[in-house]
Amino acid sequence: MTTHAATEKQITGRQVLRGAISGQRGHVSFAALGFSAHQAGEAVVPVLIGVVIDQAIGADGSGRLFLWLGILAAVFAVLSYSYRFGARAAERAAEQAAHHIRLGLAARVLDPRGGAESGRLPGELASLATGDAQRVGAFNRALPYGIAAVAGVVVTAVALLRESVPLGLLVLLGTPPLLWLAHLLGRPLERRSEAERDRAANASGVAADLVSGLRVLKGLGAERVAVDRYRKTSQESLAATVRSARAKSVHDGGMLALNGIFLAIVALVGGRLAAEGSISIGALVAAVGLAQFLLGPLTNLSWVNSEYAQARASATRIASVLSAPPAVQPGTEKFDGPVRGEVALRGVSHAGLKDIDLHAAPGELLGVVAPDPAIAVALLECLGRDVDPVTGTVEVDAVALSSLEFGEARGALLIAAHDADLFEGSLIGNVTSNGDGAERALAAAGADEVARALPEGVDTVLTERGRSLSGGQRQRVALARALAADPPVLVLHDPTTAVDAVTEAGIAEGLREIRRGKTTIVVTTSPALLSVADRVVVIEDGKVSAQGSHGKLAAEHAGYRTAVLT
Amino acid sequence: MSQQLLPTATPKRTRQAVWELLRLDRGFAVVAFLVLLAATGVGLATAPLLGRIVDLVVERSPVGAITLPVVLLVIAAIAQGVLMGVGTNFVAQVGERMLARLRERFVERALRLPLEQVERAGSGDLTARVSDDVTVIAEAVRNALPALSRSLLTIVLTLGGIAVLDWRFLVAALLAVPIQLHTVRWYARNAGPMYARQRIAVGAQQHQLLDTIGAGKTVRAFRLADDHIDRVRGKSQIAVDVALTAAKLWTKFYGRLNLAEFVGLAAVLTAGFLLVRDGDVSVGTATAAALYFHGLFNPINVALALVDDAQAAMASLARLVGVAETPPPAEPEKPAVPADASVTASGVHHAYHEGEEVLHGIDLDIRPGERVALVGASGAGKTTLAKLIAGIHSPSSGTIRIGGAPLEDLGPAGISQSVVLVTQEVHVFAGPLADDLRLASPDATEADLTEALDRVGALAWVRALPDGLDTVVGEGGHRLTAAQAQQLALARLILADPPIVILDEATAEAGSAGARVLEGATVAALAGRSALIVAHRLTQAMAADRVVVLDDGRVVESGTHTELVAAGGHYATLWQAWSDTRQNV
Repeated sequence: MTTHAATEKQITGRQVLRGAISGQRGHVSFAALGFSAHQAGEAVVPVLIGVVIDQAIGADGSGRLFLWLGILAAVFAVLSYSYRFGARAAERAAEQAAHHIRLGLAARVLDPRGGAESGRLPGELASLATGDAQRVGAFNRALPYGIAAVAGVVVTAVALLRESVPLGLLVLLGTPPLLWLAHLLGRPLERRSEAERDRAANASGVAADLVSGLRVLKGLGAERVAVDRYRKTSQESLAATVRSARAKSVHDGGMLALNGIFLAIVALVGGRLAAEGSISIGALVAAVGLAQFLLGPLTNLSWVNSEYAQARASATRIASVLSAPPAVQPGTEKFDGPVRGEVALRGVSHAGLKDIDLHAAPGELLGVVAPDPAIAVALLECLGRDVDPVTGTVEVDAVALSSLEFGEARGALLIAAHDADLFEGSLIGNVTSNGDGAERALAAAGADEVARALPEGVDTVLTERGRSLSGGQRQRVALARALAADPPVLVLHDPTTAVDAVTEAGIAEGLREIRRGKTTIVVTTSPALLSVADRVVVIEDGKVSAQGSHGKLAAEHAGYRTAVLT
Repeated sequence: MSQQLLPTATPKRTRQAVWELLRLDRGFAVVAFLVLLAATGVGLATAPLLGRIVDLVVERSPVGAITLPVVLLVIAAIAQGVLMGVGTNFVAQVGERMLARLRERFVERALRLPLEQVERAGSGDLTARVSDDVTVIAEAVRNALPALSRSLLTIVLTLGGIAVLDWRFLVAALLAVPIQLHTVRWYARNAGPMYARQRIAVGAQQHQLLDTIGAGKTVRAFRLADDHIDRVRGKSQIAVDVALTAAKLWTKFYGRLNLAEFVGLAAVLTAGFLLVRDGDVSVGTATAAALYFHGLFNPINVALALVDDAQAAMASLARLVGVAETPPPAEPEKPAVPADASVTASGVHHAYHEGEEVLHGIDLDIRPGERVALVGASGAGKTTLAKLIAGIHSPSSGTIRIGGAPLEDLGPAGISQSVVLVTQEVHVFAGPLADDLRLASPDATEADLTEALDRVGALAWVRALPDGLDTVVGEGGHRLTAAQAQQLALARLILADPPIVILDEATAEAGSAGARVLEGATVAALAGRSALIVAHRLTQAMAADRVVVLDDGRVVESGTHTELVAAGGHYATLWQAWSDTRQNV
């Protein structure tokens, strides 16, 4: 359908991640500096303990004691404050990078060219903008630790090699295989425990699912069955978590033993070298200490590595949305003068529509009956320019929608979908941003009644996506919003499916009244709405198969009667 | 709307409940503790063994002499690894078993809570408890509990070790404690509200994203993109700001702990200086004390940082225990048995809130096997009446009888055996489709399931699913359309096979074309049952045995479709609007 995909620039996950880092490089560098200083401070503390014992306690110098305690205090101040400011900078880098990605994603999804949502559920997109954005940002938190760890490893290596080349080499060459061994030890268990963690998570998933279906369970009287079933899930999940805890204990215990054995080997080699007199005792103590210290930065490095893998995966998912091919491209034309509201489909073919011609005169209230719901959706997609039809054109006032600027096209012709979503905010704020014509629109849509039933009337704040209202109430408020927008052409899709028959009859009259003189197309099978239409067209097999008034069609057209009146 | 949250247990009651859960695993818990204790003890042997090697070198012992301490180091390492592995595994097992018992009891009680109480609390309350609170506790059991027990043991044993060297070292080391206590109290005081604010900010951001992204089409159609980007920016910025303020708090927390570390270390070193000067201890002992204290830095930080998690877990526990200890709704001692499938409402009044009566004296009879359609405008009281008959609320006054027996005498179990309520809220339970259906009838055979699906016209699409009846549906599985979900609800109804059915808006949300498929399914599902149908489409009313028109909480008309159309009243006007055949001018 889109021939524009090739022109859209492709964004890769690598670019998203690099952008997130370079956008925050000041904070990341500052954090790396802070963490390095903190790490150095941590490493110096045990050395200073040795110095205090050597210089003051062993030598009985009270003056020196105070001097060295003072220095110790200074070191603590440096390590503490460098961590504090480093961590804050890292936090800022992480949060802000996630924030920018979030806004970028929202902007892409809302881009008038569309296309970002295709094939993705809304929840999935939202979780990209929260979870995945956060994970990409989190790499900015990990990276400074990684830089500091590299610095720590280099400094340790130099220090070790200066003390003794063989001992230094033993520690430096021994540590990476140790970590690799740990990784190896952990991998099969990790893989197994991941599957088991999933099963463990299942227990809470099932519980949440049962609770959210509580009304259905109660309606069926199925509480006992559900409880029994949950108990079984919970026990399975318990067995799985116990297995995965066992795997984790084996890994942790193994790591502890390996570390201890490595330390013993360093002590053995160092002790022999010292006993032979090739290194000093100081060098032996330093080597043992540094071997222990080195594990810290190296473990950090492997953590940074796993954060990187996660961030890359998230960045790739984000990139695929950011570079999703647009569904349609904007045109350049504008209407000259006010829009009269003449709508024409000329030879349109698209997903079930077959070379269809359809016309609505300015000011006409046109009913469209499409017994096949897929046809109705295809028609609305073409009218709303969510897609461009494979062949044919959709025109308003004889100008093709595809040649118009987005603002012009959507300003002239408004589609109010069947499941039109409301937003968090006051009821009146949902209907109109400036209050124009709200009262009339509310009354016409029967939404004034909705407002009266709410504690604070039209000022009542609706929750996310208007969920605090019932389906019928939501539908009426959404209809009021479409009416208040007062566009030259309004296309409504099944606007009253969740509304009771009494109210629906009122809405039909209100709709006719408020849209007088403006073009309105109602795609519906509701007889109440069709009976107020100036003209009704029936679309069967992708083409207009009949037209006339509701009364005439109901009397003469058997297919119409089946679709509308039974 | 007065919101009344579900009960929360007092701290005392919560502790008791934890203790009761633990008691069942008492023996195991004691063994776990002892093994961890042994592991920590062995771990403390490393430092003296390394010291011994240094001593041997200083004493110029033969090169071979260091072999023994090295071998001991290796043995200690292996022993510590094994013991720590076994110990943490035991702790995890005890914790997981407690968690499983707690969540099972919670779910059991939660599902038996009267719907009225759940609705008063707001639908989010129970859901938040079952997902968020259980997760918080599970995290605490899985991560915090093992780390905390290891750290605490290390701290206690190390302090013991310092005391053995010389009790005055212990006194010096404890100088850090007041600062640590003060820090933890300060942090706990500030962190609670801070994390609550953060949760709210992140939640609001998430809501906004769902709001905006989920409605991308609407936002584009109404050209609201700029406004929505601003909304997202605003909510996201607040979440960022709160996270940064939280970072300030916890970095300060660690800063204060650094101060405590310095004070303690300086005190131990000074004590060493004084004790060595007075000849009370050797330089080696003073070194050991200082190194022991340095070894405490990490476990103390770990333990204190977990105070926060522990607090959160206790708060979550209180919410779970509160529900788990709610007594189940009382069943009558001798439940009445309905004589037939009739429903009688006499003089039923109902008000959700004092003084706001929505039903004003309803009298309604449904004969066994009769299908009655309830017609009326929104707010006329249709849904309220449906809920009263289904036993979800009790009428403020008047009685409802099923087969001659008042609802109170039937009890919750008796009512649900006789009446099934199908509402517009369809829920597909996550899991294999067959399991979803068997909720209604646990012992149904595959043939029963197939027959029920066939009767509601769902068999074709179920057969076409990747794994047929075993296809995993619902959250995280194969997604069903709204119409399919409703067909499933009707199939469950057939399987539950109640004598009386109440249908409330069961076909409302599917869109008008889907509605027709469902109407056929509904007719099939209702065959042979008494039914009260809250009708939206008048075709539903037309197909019913009798139509009852409700207006402002009163029954205003009652009769067959034909009678009411002929009577020229309320219903006739409505029907006119529907079937209107006038020519447009």
